[in-house]
Amino acid sequence: MTDTPTAPRQQPTATSGAPVTETAETAIRLVGLTKRFGDTTVVDHLDLDIRKGEFFSLLGPSGCGKTTTLRMIAGFSDATEGSIILAGEDVTSVPPHKRNVNTVFQSYALFEHLDVAGNVGFGLKRKGLPKDEIRRQVGEALDLVQLGDRAKARPRELSGGQKQRVALARALVNRPEVLLLDEPLAALDLKLRHQMQVELKTIQREVGITFVFVTHDQDEALTLSDRVAVMNKGVIEQSGTPEDVYERPKTAFAAGFIGTSNLMTGTYRNAALEIAPGISVAVPGHAELQQGQQASIAVRPEKIYMYDFEPGMVRISGSVAATVYHGATTQYLVDVAPDVRLTVLEQNTSRQRNDDRWSDGDRLEIGWQPEHTVVLK
Amino acid sequence: MATATSSSETAGGTITTVPSRRRRRSVEGKPRLAVAFTVLFFALLYLPIIIVVLFSFNSRKSLSYFESFSTRWYVQFFNDEQLISSLKASLFISTITMLGSLALGVMLAIALERVRSRPARVVGTVSLIPLVTPEIVTGVAALLFFTGLGIKLSLATVILAEITFSISYVAVIVRGRLAALSGEYEEAARDLGCTPFQAVRLVVVPAILPALIASGLLIFALTFDDFVLAFFTTGVDPQPLPVRIYSEIRLSISPAINAVGTCMMLVSAVLLIVAVVVPRLFGSKDSGIDIISQG
Repeated sequence: MTDTPTAPRQQPTATSGAPVTETAETAIRLVGLTKRFGDTTVVDHLDLDIRKGEFFSLLGPSGCGKTTTLRMIAGFSDATEGSIILAGEDVTSVPPHKRNVNTVFQSYALFEHLDVAGNVGFGLKRKGLPKDEIRRQVGEALDLVQLGDRAKARPRELSGGQKQRVALARALVNRPEVLLLDEPLAALDLKLRHQMQVELKTIQREVGITFVFVTHDQDEALTLSDRVAVMNKGVIEQSGTPEDVYERPKTAFAAGFIGTSNLMTGTYRNAALEIAPGISVAVPGHAELQQGQQASIAVRPEKIYMYDFEPGMVRISGSVAATVYHGATTQYLVDVAPDVRLTVLEQNTSRQRNDDRWSDGDRLEIGWQPEHTVVLK
Repeated sequence: MATATSSSETAGGTITTVPSRRRRRSVEGKPRLAVAFTVLFFALLYLPIIIVVLFSFNSRKSLSYFESFSTRWYVQFFNDEQLISSLKASLFISTITMLGSLALGVMLAIALERVRSRPARVVGTVSLIPLVTPEIVTGVAALLFFTGLGIKLSLATVILAEITFSISYVAVIVRGRLAALSGEYEEAARDLGCTPFQAVRLVVVPAILPALIASGLLIFALTFDDFVLAFFTTGVDPQPLPVRIYSEIRLSISPAINAVGTCMMLVSAVLLIVAVVVPRLFGSKDSGIDIISQG
């Protein structure tokens, strides 16, 4: 949490390619990193600075280039263009075994012919450390992931969650400059996944190693990361703190991929956007928008009020098209124009009065604070 | 057999209402036929072999009447220098063929599994052709090849022909094992400080070791008793054991051949036991036999 949300227009990362001043603090820097397979560009001129000690997530749908980026950092895939600077040193053409990064693989890739201790100590043995030193460090790493008592077990005797921990210990024990994690929790069931998320974050804080985490799960990225980069079609759409990318998405893709957003498109005129004939939403303070220009805005469903309006809110009338009860929340689909349907999420709190509940077909008014209207690129 | 067990358990078990008699009889009748068929199958398969073993211990020369136990044919076999030199030749051929085809076959398997391109797929398919080519065609082709090049037929030509024939067996079995390893397996080794060669030696080879042992033993066994290829590609002296046996029984049928056959079977039996036991020593649940049958 290095940025305060009071400065929403501040650009905390190098998505624009602007150099970041604190070089000493940068664990890894990608400069114009590009990967092409034949005519297909998978990663397109990526510029990114990841700070020392931070938990950084690359978030995007499958095929967005996040895993390819990770593989280029690890050295398994050659960059077509651009460079990778690891702790101030250009490692673009350094083979994987000489890079000071380690990977936690999606399939774990534990060595079946070695026991848990053999797996964890594999990297240290390659470095030629003395035996008792290896044993000591392996013991520490296994304690860190709470598997101190399974050192002699074979990988196939372990549960999915335990394999996951061994893979983590095997990578961490080498004290890499950067630890790369390729969707490591994807194979676990939901409950175990939540448990491992908490643990992963705790371990990262404890060891202080820079984590680069690839995932397609937005919840995971928001929960774990200090900063998130949202990737789509080989480019970073937006990067920033989880709060930044959630509250202030910059593009329609970022707004739609992280959580749900009500996207509205219309014509900009006199500091307002006409999203449907006769319905305008005020968007003050956007000098970059031209009169008559097409523009898009987004509003999060949970920011929309259905009663108890406050002064200065954007107000639109509509009718309830459908209600979906989720337990803690209820989701309303509200038609404000023939082809504009907004999603509204209401908490089912005890304070809520019965007459505030809406049914299908009810005419009603909805509204939100103007600062929750996000203008997209 | 499984059907027989389960149906009889149901019939004799907790079911109290009497099911239709006809239905029960028809269900139980079928396995009886299957059992008879199975017994017949194994009898036809193993009776001749049992007879060979039995008569190898016959004290008389007769192949139809067993008189009393004796080891005279074994003594005769071990004193027959030609047969012994043939046995040694066969063991030598099998050992070299096993090692050679393992080395080449593993390289082929790794290349075919890891290189994904159209030429690689063509090579992959072409490398399977020896498996389906009639062995006699391979034998004649090898003979024409060697004589065409003016190479004198000897144990070396037998070994070359056998290795060529065996590579595809190794490649098929090893590829099956490699395919089960994710590509991340090698990458994990590279990630942890291995050069590409070390990754293969320290991580891939141990992972495919059961397949290596299984295919090695299979190649040894196939080569040891291979007649067709050996017949076409061997020189005059020494001849591989199967070729030697063939020329012996063309002249006269001696019970000593029964002793030779029993010894050959003993070699196969030992190989079989090794194939089952050794992979387990390395911590694999699958025996070598399972790996071959899966491949």
